[in-house]
Order: sequence, then structure tokens, then C-alpha cells
Amino acid sequence: MSLISSLPDSVPVLIAGGGPVGLSLAAMLAQYGIQTLVIEADEGYCTGSRAICMSRRSQEILGWFGADRPLVEKGLGWTAGRSYFRDREVLHFDMPHDPAQRFAPMVNIQQFYVEEYAHDAMRRHPRHANISWNSRVLAVRNQDDGVEVEIECGGEKKWIHAQWLAACDGGRSTVRESLGLALKGTQYEGRYVIVDIEQDSQRPVERLAWFDPPSNPGSTILMHRQPDNVWRIDYQVEDGEDPEEAVKPENVLPRVQSHLEMIGETAPWKPLWISIYNAKCLTLDSYRHGRVLFAGDAGHLVPIFGVRGLNSGLDDAGNLAWKLAWVLRGAASDALLDSYSIERVHATRQNISYGAKSTEFMAPPSYGFRLMRDAALRLGLADERVRSLVNPRQSSPISYDGSPLNAGDGLTGLFPDSAPGEPAPELMLRHGTETRHLSQFFGRGFVMLGVGLDAQGIDALRRAADSVGKPAGLPALQVLAVGEAISGGDVDAWQAAHDSLLRYQAGAVYVIRPDGYVLGRWPVAQADAAAQALGLFHTPQSSL
Amino acid sequence: MTDQDLDTCYTALCSAIDRVGEQRAPLFLSMLALSLLARQPDAEAALPLIRQAEENTTD
Repeated sequence: MSLISSLPDSVPVLIAGGGPVGLSLAAMLAQYGIQTLVIEADEGYCTGSRAICMSRRSQEILGWFGADRPLVEKGLGWTAGRSYFRDREVLHFDMPHDPAQRFAPMVNIQQFYVEEYAHDAMRRHPRHANISWNSRVLAVRNQDDGVEVEIECGGEKKWIHAQWLAACDGGRSTVRESLGLALKGTQYEGRYVIVDIEQDSQRPVERLAWFDPPSNPGSTILMHRQPDNVWRIDYQVEDGEDPEEAVKPENVLPRVQSHLEMIGETAPWKPLWISIYNAKCLTLDSYRHGRVLFAGDAGHLVPIFGVRGLNSGLDDAGNLAWKLAWVLRGAASDALLDSYSIERVHATRQNISYGAKSTEFMAPPSYGFRLMRDAALRLGLADERVRSLVNPRQSSPISYDGSPLNAGDGLTGLFPDSAPGEPAPELMLRHGTETRHLSQFFGRGFVMLGVGLDAQGIDALRRAADSVGKPAGLPALQVLAVGEAISGGDVDAWQAAHDSLLRYQAGAVYVIRPDGYVLGRWPVAQADAAAQALGLFHTPQSSL
Repeated sequence: MTDQDLDTCYTALCSAIDRVGEQRAPLFLSMLALSLLARQPDAEAALPLIRQAEENTTD
């Protein structure tokens, strides 16, 4: 039922937009026991496959609410790719991967499946997560104690009061427009046609790129395998070609046919979806405006190359969910949500700089970039020293170095991969026959991680953890001891497999945020500093 | 030279070519190549690089 009368008068968190970011945010908040209502203009999941490459980090985030398993079962994991200049292979690359990892570096899957799995997770919390399809946001009024949002549904209108509004309503965000905000940045001229086709293929799942292929001289073509026998094909449109003409099937299909023939994919095929794209590097300066928080494409548009669009949107949701929960439960002041904006605007600027580099290679914007791209491709055939320039810069988690949330670093200069503000490096953990990964402890409460502690160190860890309070209505602190051998007393103790501890300092205590980022780290002799840092987020206070 | 440093230099060179313009690009790139050749230890190191680029210039 999506009649307007069935909608509540007020809700703690209203989410504008039921795409993958909004649905995931609702699922995460439901796990914290926070009520949400998602307002979605469409009648169901998106059509066309849209964003298709889910990074390792995104798989981890989907795992916080149980959507990782269907994703990994349905999706096609991949670790490598090939780039060709004309008909010769110039680069065969492998994504960073090691046996301690829980997920493949990348999984290809149609966006509507991701939406379905996030919605399934919402449906496991029917008292907390709700969605109203065929509904849209008409107007937004920011107030001191909340936000008033006018909703239209089935021809009727209604104002709903929310404590917070999460704007996840995409690149053409109505919320953004009604607040009079605009994305700022640059747009590139080069256009790419995006085509999905259905065709049986036995080719391994890899990221494939052709520069100036004989099938389409002068163009650049990308291909990705998706589930259900679907190919994603992207190709660059010639300068000056009319975009409306470029997406007409009579112009698209011959180019696709020519390329399929060239690479020897001869099975019958049919087109499923055609779209056109040009690279944009646009963002809001702040993702918090009063009681309104922007996430995903509503706040930023980054180039398609390097797959930072949906992947950064899920990171937005993962950063925002626990902070909203902590603020709504009264365990932190709303300044915590300013850190959401600071960290994620920083991430967008990083994503834009990497995305711009990818774009400048995939669709050179000027003579200099085109000349050098061609030089790198030609020389790359013979000289491996320059081949790294051809490697696509794929999405990877962004460091929050410089974040105001980062607590002390008692190990300055050591093990930079696990410094405050870094995503905690994955650990594969064993206890008897049981295997777990560190990332499986994320998405709930904070983690206090003792690394390579002796019996005395375990005692110090235990005492520090016991001194941390427990705020009402929020997940408890999780305390783990990890080492080369199992040693934990009454602490949850694990043995690290596959040298995965190499990026952590032994004899240290790490505090990790619910979103998997390192808050601070100290030698175990300073375990009380870890407890103090945690105290800021564990002051018992009145709940909702 | 790390991959990241090479990437930084690559982008700087692209932008420099755009600043000098298409017409003067061959002159600019020749001057740059000369600077880089002069920084090679000897002709034995430099000549194969010239040969390699030449071989991959033609179609």
C-alpha cells in the first residue's frame, strides 16, 4: 500500500531515493534499530544494469547487512584485466589480492540486483525500515530541531517531519534543488555509449579494453562480463557526433557487431539497454546542510572510469549510518555528522583526482593528452617500464588522514597501512576449525583489537575495555586479541593466518570505528589512551 | 621512478604539450628528449631507447 494516509507524520530518518545507496542506508540504520522511511519515485528497482562493478570495500559494506552472500553468489568476481592497442595486448594487470582477503577485488553485477539485496535486508526489519514507491519529494524545509519534507504520492501531498533527511536521490537530486544547492566542478567533452547485450560466452571474467581496435578505428572500447550472459560494452563516440544519433540502435548495433566479430564472439546476441555518458567531476562543498545529509550521486558525480560512482556512494552510506545512530541515541553530539561531510568530501576530492586521471587516459580531453596516450600505448608494447600508465586506476578505499575524528597515534611513523584514518587492513582469523575475517566485525559497534599481546598485555586490554561505558541502544564494544598463536585469557582470541598481521604493529592496541576505519592505535602500555578515545563514543546517556 | 611518480610526470607532460601547442610540440618534445638523453650514463644506454621508440612509431 502506498497511499499517502499510510505514511507516518514523523520518522527519525527520512531517506529520499530508493537506489542502492538509500536502500543500503535504510538497511544499515535498521540494524541499529533506527526507523527510516525511504521515498522512491519509481515503482521498483532500476532498469538497465547501470553501475556494475562492486569493489571489495562495497562487498564488505553490503556484508554488514547480509547482502554480501547473494551478491557473491550471483555476481562474477574478477581479479585481472587486459588492455589492447589495435590488436596487440599491451597490458595484463592483476588487482591487489592475497589469500587473507575475504572478497574478490571486484564483482560484476547488475545494479538492480544490488537494490534487491539491500531491499531484502530492509524487509528483515519490517518495524524499522519502510519504503514508499511511486512517491517523490516536493519540498524541503530545514529547521533547528529537524526537517519538514513534503511528499507527493498517488496525487496527494503530505508534510512529514524527520529528525534527519538523507538525500540519496541521485544526480538530479530534488532535495539538492529544493535547498538551492548546485554541484560544482568540471565536465569532460568526450562521450561514451554504454550498451548491454545478451550473448553466451565462455570468455574469462576480466576487464577488457581496446584502444584504436581494427573493429572501430580511432575509438576506445571497454567490455565487462555480467551475470545472466550479459556483456557491458562502452565505446567512445567520435568528437562532434550528435549524442541523440549516437544512441540510435542503427548506429550502435553495427559497431558492436564489428567488435564481437573481431574478438571471436560469434554466438547470437541481442541488445538490452543503451545509454550515453560523459565524464563529470562535480561535488557539493559540504554534504551536511542543517538537518539534511547528502550521499551518493546527490552529493557528487565522479567519472565512470575506475568505478568510483556507486562504490563511493556505498562508502558514504557506511560512513553515515553509524554516525546517525550514535547521534540519534544521544551518544554523540551532532558535530559527529560534520565529520561525515569532512571525510566524504575529502574522499570525493580524491576520487575526482583519480577519476580525472582515468578519464584523461580513456577519453583524452586535448591534443597533449591524446598524443601522450598514444605514445604510452605504442611504447608500452615494447617497454614494460611505461606499461603502468595503461593500468586503469580502479576504485580503492580512501584514507581519512587529517580527519578530526582520528585519535592519537602512539605508533607514529610505523606501519602506515594501519595508521589512524586508514581502513583497517583485512585479517584472516582462525580459532580451531573456525575461520573469520576482521571485516566481519565491522558494521556494528567499535572494535578494540589487541595485536600480538602477551598475558600481561591481554590483562591491560581487558582492563581498558572494561573501563569503557555502554551507551543505551547501541552495539557493545567488541574486544579481540589476535596473534601468531592464540592467547587471550577471557578475551575473544584468534590466530592470524597468511601473514596478514604484517601490516599491524605487535604489542599494540588498535581502536577501529564501526565502518572499519582505524580511530587510533597505541602500544599496549598506553591502553588507557585507547579507552579514553573510546569514551567519547561510549558515554552512557539517555536514549531516544 | 615509481609508477606513481611516472604518472605524475606523464600528466605534467600532457599539460605542457597543450601549453606549447600542437605546432611547437615536436620542438618541445625534442628538447625534452635531449635533456633526458644527456642524463643517460652513456650512448650504449641511450641508443636502444631511440631505436625502440623509432620501431614503435611506424604502423
